[in-house]
Amino acid sequence: MAKMKWYWYWVSTSIIFRLILIYFPNNLNLSSRPEVATPLTSLRRLAEGYWLKQSSISPYSGSMYHGSPLLLAILGPLTVIRFEGQPEHIACSLLFVIADLITAILIRATGQKLHLSYKRSLKSLNVTKLLETSEILSAGDIAALIYLWNPLTIVTCVGMSTSPVENLMIVLSLYGACSRLAPLAAFGWVLASHLSLYPAILIIPVIFLLGYGPDTPPKKLFRQQKSESNGNDLVIQNRFSWRPVVHFILWASFWTVYVLVLCSIYLKQYGGLSEMFKRTHGFILTLEDLSPNIGVLWYFFAEVFDFFRDFFLIVFHVNILFMLLPLAIRLYHRPCFLAFIYIAISSMLKSYPSVGDSALYLALLGWFVYELAEMQFSFFLFCGYVGVTLLSPVMHNLWIWRGTGNANFYYATAMAYACLQIILVVESVSAMLQHDRMLRKQSTT
Amino acid sequence: MENGIPDSQNPKPKPRPIVRIGIFIISHNLFFSVICCIGGILALFLLPLMAKNTYISENALMPGSANPMFSRYDTMEANKLVKDIMSMSLKPEETGIEIARLLAQRMEESGVEVYHHKFHEKISQFRPLHFFSDTTYTGLLLQNTSAIHGINTVGIIRAPRGDGKEAIVFVTPYNSTKIELSEALSIGLAYSVFSLLGRVTWLSKDIVWLAADSRYGEYTSVSAWLRDYHTPVFNGPESKENPTTGAGNTDFFRRAGTMAAALVIKVVEKHGETEKDTLSIYAEASNGQMPNLDLINTVHYLAVHTQGLRVKVEKVYTLLNLAWLQVMGQILESVSKVAKSLNSQWKFGMPAAEYVDGTATLASSLYYQALGVPTGSHGAFRDYQVDAVTLEISPRSFLNNEGRRTEFLLRGGRLMESVVRSVNNLLEKFHQSFFLYLMTSPSKFVSVGVYMIAFLLLLVPLPIAAAALYSGANNLGSNLTKDNQVPAFASTAKPGVQKSWRWLHAAKVVFIIHLWATIVSLLPSLINHIPEMTPTNNMFIWASSSIFILLILYSMLGSPYSHPTTSGCQNSEWATLKSVMIAVASIGLGLMSIINYATAQIGAIILVPMCLLVHPLKLTGRSGNSKAFLLVACNLVVAVIGFPPAGLAVIKGWSEGFGAVNVGDFWIWAESLWAWNSATYLYVVLIHFPCWVLCMNILLHPC
Repeated sequence: MAKMKWYWYWVSTSIIFRLILIYFPNNLNLSSRPEVATPLTSLRRLAEGYWLKQSSISPYSGSMYHGSPLLLAILGPLTVIRFEGQPEHIACSLLFVIADLITAILIRATGQKLHLSYKRSLKSLNVTKLLETSEILSAGDIAALIYLWNPLTIVTCVGMSTSPVENLMIVLSLYGACSRLAPLAAFGWVLASHLSLYPAILIIPVIFLLGYGPDTPPKKLFRQQKSESNGNDLVIQNRFSWRPVVHFILWASFWTVYVLVLCSIYLKQYGGLSEMFKRTHGFILTLEDLSPNIGVLWYFFAEVFDFFRDFFLIVFHVNILFMLLPLAIRLYHRPCFLAFIYIAISSMLKSYPSVGDSALYLALLGWFVYELAEMQFSFFLFCGYVGVTLLSPVMHNLWIWRGTGNANFYYATAMAYACLQIILVVESVSAMLQHDRMLRKQSTT
Repeated sequence: MENGIPDSQNPKPKPRPIVRIGIFIISHNLFFSVICCIGGILALFLLPLMAKNTYISENALMPGSANPMFSRYDTMEANKLVKDIMSMSLKPEETGIEIARLLAQRMEESGVEVYHHKFHEKISQFRPLHFFSDTTYTGLLLQNTSAIHGINTVGIIRAPRGDGKEAIVFVTPYNSTKIELSEALSIGLAYSVFSLLGRVTWLSKDIVWLAADSRYGEYTSVSAWLRDYHTPVFNGPESKENPTTGAGNTDFFRRAGTMAAALVIKVVEKHGETEKDTLSIYAEASNGQMPNLDLINTVHYLAVHTQGLRVKVEKVYTLLNLAWLQVMGQILESVSKVAKSLNSQWKFGMPAAEYVDGTATLASSLYYQALGVPTGSHGAFRDYQVDAVTLEISPRSFLNNEGRRTEFLLRGGRLMESVVRSVNNLLEKFHQSFFLYLMTSPSKFVSVGVYMIAFLLLLVPLPIAAAALYSGANNLGSNLTKDNQVPAFASTAKPGVQKSWRWLHAAKVVFIIHLWATIVSLLPSLINHIPEMTPTNNMFIWASSSIFILLILYSMLGSPYSHPTTSGCQNSEWATLKSVMIAVASIGLGLMSIINYATAQIGAIILVPMCLLVHPLKLTGRSGNSKAFLLVACNLVVAVIGFPPAGLAVIKGWSEGFGAVNVGDFWIWAESLWAWNSATYLYVVLIHFPCWVLCMNILLHPC
C-alpha cells in the first residue's frame, strides 16, 4: 500500500508540475520550437485550420493544417475558448494533460499485464530465482512514471502539440490488444493510423498480441519443458488463436468506415476524402514541408535534385517496411517489445518526427526493465539523450537567431539523435535476445 | 563504450576492432588523460603560430577599387561643425537639446530626412528566462516628454540607386551633458562624410547616421534606438500621422532598410607611441559573438593600404613582459629554424616578439569573448544579426592643433567613405567569411576549426575517464556480487538491476545538485528586489539561502551518502558518482563551447583537472605515501581555485593586491554578467558550480 501511495504521489506531482508550466507559455515559447511542434502536430496550425473552417473555407487550403478533420472537430472549438486572465489555448492544454494522464494509466495497466505474464512464464519454466528481483517495483509503475516525468513528454504536453493524443491512441490500441479487447485495440489502431499514418505498422504486433497473448519467452522453451515434464498442463497457451484476430479485423474495418464517414461528412463541401488523404497522409509521404525538425529527412530532401526526389522518397519509406518482417519473425513471441521497436524505428525515420514520439518509446522501454537489465551502453545512451536534447536548441539558436551557424550545425544534432536511437534499438534487441538465451540456460539446467 | 568489456564467464569470439580500441584506450586512461590535457594546453599556446593571414573572402566588396572623393572642402565643414558644437558647450545648461537641434538643422540643410528619437535609461534587470529567447518588447515608442530622457538624432540618406531595402549605419556617440572635443570631432567627421554621401550618385544602400546621446552610456542609446527600429508599431497613437505628411515633423520615427553593416566611429586622444594616426578596432559583442571577419578585413585593408593608418586590436599588456612567454617564443623560434634547415618547405615559425604579441592579443580576444560583455555600442547591433565594429581613431598629435586636425579628418573621412563604398557593393549580407574566430593581430586570425582542437584535446579525457571509471566500478561491483553471490540472493540485493543500471542512483545525486544549482542561479532575481542592500549583504543572503535549500533538498530527496547499499558496493559508489559527474561536465562544456567558445576554453582549464583529479580523501589518506600526499595537495588547491568566488578573489588579489578583495566582489561581478545577459553567468552557476559541489562530495565521501 505504501508503494501505491508513493506512486500516486509522484503521478499527482507530475500533473501539478505540468499545470504550473502551462501558466508560463510565453516565457517558454515551446509551441514554436521545431523539436516540439511539427507541421502535423502544431496546435497553432490547428487553430488556423479551425478558423478557416469557420469562415467556410477548406481547412486544408493554404498548406497550413495537415491533421485529421476529427481533431479539428474536437480540438478546434477548444482553441477559441478564452478565459479572462488565463493563457491562450488553456482548454487544449488541460485536455493534453488529461491525455497524458490516461496514457500513463494505460501504460501502467499494460505493464502490469505484461508483468503477470512474465511471472507466469517464469514459474512455468521453473526459473523462480529471477522472480525475486522483479518484485521490487512493478514494471508498469516504472513505465508510467517514466512517461509522466520524462522531460520530453512534459515539453510536448506543455508545448501545444497534438502528440499526446496520438500517443494516447497508440497506447490504447496496445492496451486493448494486451487485454484482448478487440474493439478497443481496433479503435486505437485505426485512430492512431488515421492521425499520423505510421502507427499502421503496429497491426503486426497487435495481431500477435491478440493471437498469442502478451510477451513470453520463446515458445520452444515451453515445448522443451513440456516434453521433460511429460504433459504437465501449462498455463501458457502457445497456439495462435484466430478468433480475436478475426474480431480485430472486423472491428478495424468497422472503425475505419466509421472514421471515414465522419471525415467525409465534415469535409463534404471541401473536396471530401480525396482532399483529406492528399493533405494529411499525402503530406506525410511526399514530405512537402522541408522546414527543419529533429528528423533526418528534411535536410536530405532539401539538397536532393528534384528528379531523384520520388526515388528517394520511396527508398526512405520502404526502409521502415523492410525492417518489419525480419523483426516480426525474430520477436513474434514478444509482441509488446516488437511494438516498442516498431515505434522507435518509425520515430527515427518518419518524415516529421518530434520529441513526443521519443517520449512514447522511452516510456515503453520501462515495460522491459527487468528483461533489459543487462542492456549495454545504458549510461552512454542516457548521456547521449541528455546531450542531444540540450544541444539541439542551442544549435538552432546559433543558426536561426544568431546567424553565426548554419543548417549543418542543426542537422548534425539530428544525425547524432538518429544514431542514438539506432544504438538504443540495436542494444535493446540484443539485450532481449540475450535475456531469452539466459532463460533457456536457466530452465535447462 | 562504457562497458564494452565482454563478460569473462563465457568464452566469446574476439570483440570488434572498434570495441578493442575502446577497451585499449579505457585501460590506459591515465596515460591518455595526461597526454591529452598537456596537448590541449600546449595547443592553446601554439594558436598564435597557427593563425592565418586574413583575406577578403567576399569578392563583391572590392575594397579600394575607387578613389575616395572626400576632400579638404569636407574637412572644413567638419571643422565648422566642431567649432559650433564646442562654442555651444560653453553654455552648459542647454547643451542636452541644443546639440541635437543643431545637428538636425545641419542635416536638414543638406537635404536629408531627420528625426529625434527619445529614450529612457534602461533599468538593468535580471531576467533569467531571456538568455536565449527573443525578448518580447511592448513596442511603444516614447511619447511623454515629461520624464528625463536622452535624445538621439538620426539622419537618413535615401540611396539614389537603391530600393530602400538595405542600409548602412554610422553611429557617433556623444555625451550631451558634457561634450568633449574628441566627441565633437567624431560628430564633425561623421557629419562631413554624411553630407558628402548625400551628394554622391553611386549609393545603392541607404545611409543612416545615428548621433547617439550617451548620457546613460553608449550602449543604452544605441540599443534603445535599434529596438524601436526593429519593432514597428502598427496602431499606436502616432499612426494618425501619415508618413508622407510627417516629413517636417522631427519626432516621427523613420526607418531605412535592413542593416548591412554598422560602424561606430569614435575619436579619442591617446598620445605617445607612434608616428602615425592609429585606428583601434573593437568587435566583441555579447556572448563572444563577433562580426563577420570580412568587415574587419575591409576596414583593416583600407586603413593600412590606402590611408596609411596604424591598426590595433586590444591586447593584454601585462603579458608582453612575461619572461616565460618570451622564453617560449624563443624556443618556438629556434625549433622553427631547425625545422627549416631540415626542410625548407616547413614554414611555421615566427619571431619571438611577434609570438608574444600574438599571445597577448589572443589572450585579450579570449578574455573579452569569455566575459560575454560587449566591448562597445557595436554589441547592440549583433543582437539583430547586424555586423558592426567600433573604429576608434586617435591622432598622433593633439586635437587642438588645427592644422594637424584637417589632415587627420581627411584620413578618417576617406577611410569611412571607402568602407561605405565597399560595403555598398554587397549583394547579400555578410556571410562569406568567418563568424567564429579569435584575433591574434589585426591581420591574423585563428578560425574555429583550429581553436577547437585545443578545446577538444582538453575535453577528450573527460569521456575517457568517465568510461574507465564506470566500467571499473561495474567490474568491481559485479566481482563483489559474484563473490558473495549466495548471501546476496538471500538478502534483498538486486543483482539484475545493479549490473547495468547502477548508475541511476549516482545520476539522481547529480540531478539533484544540478536542480539545486538552477534554483541558486535564479535566486538573485529575488534578492534583487530587497531594497537597500550592499553587495556583501546580498552575497551573504545568496550563500546562506543556497545552503539552506541544499539541506532541504537533501532531506527531501536523500543525501548522496544515504543510499542503502550493501557495504561491499560502496567502494565503487564514489567511482560511479564521479563518472556520472564527469559525463555531465563534459556535456556541459561541450554545450558551452558552442554557445561561447572562450568561456568553455577558460572553464575547461579549471574544470578538467578538477574533475579528473578528485579522489576521496579517506581513500588517499589510507595509502599514505608521497604520491598520495601530492594527490591530496593537488585536490585541495584545485578545490579552492575551482570555487567560483574563491577563484575570482584569487584572480583579483593577484592583479590588484589582496587588500582589495571583498566578499561582495562576486556579487558585483555576477550582477555585471546578468545585466548583459552573458551566458558566462549560466556557465559558472549551472555547470561549473554544481561540478565543484559534486567534487566536494566525492572528496569527503565516507568510503
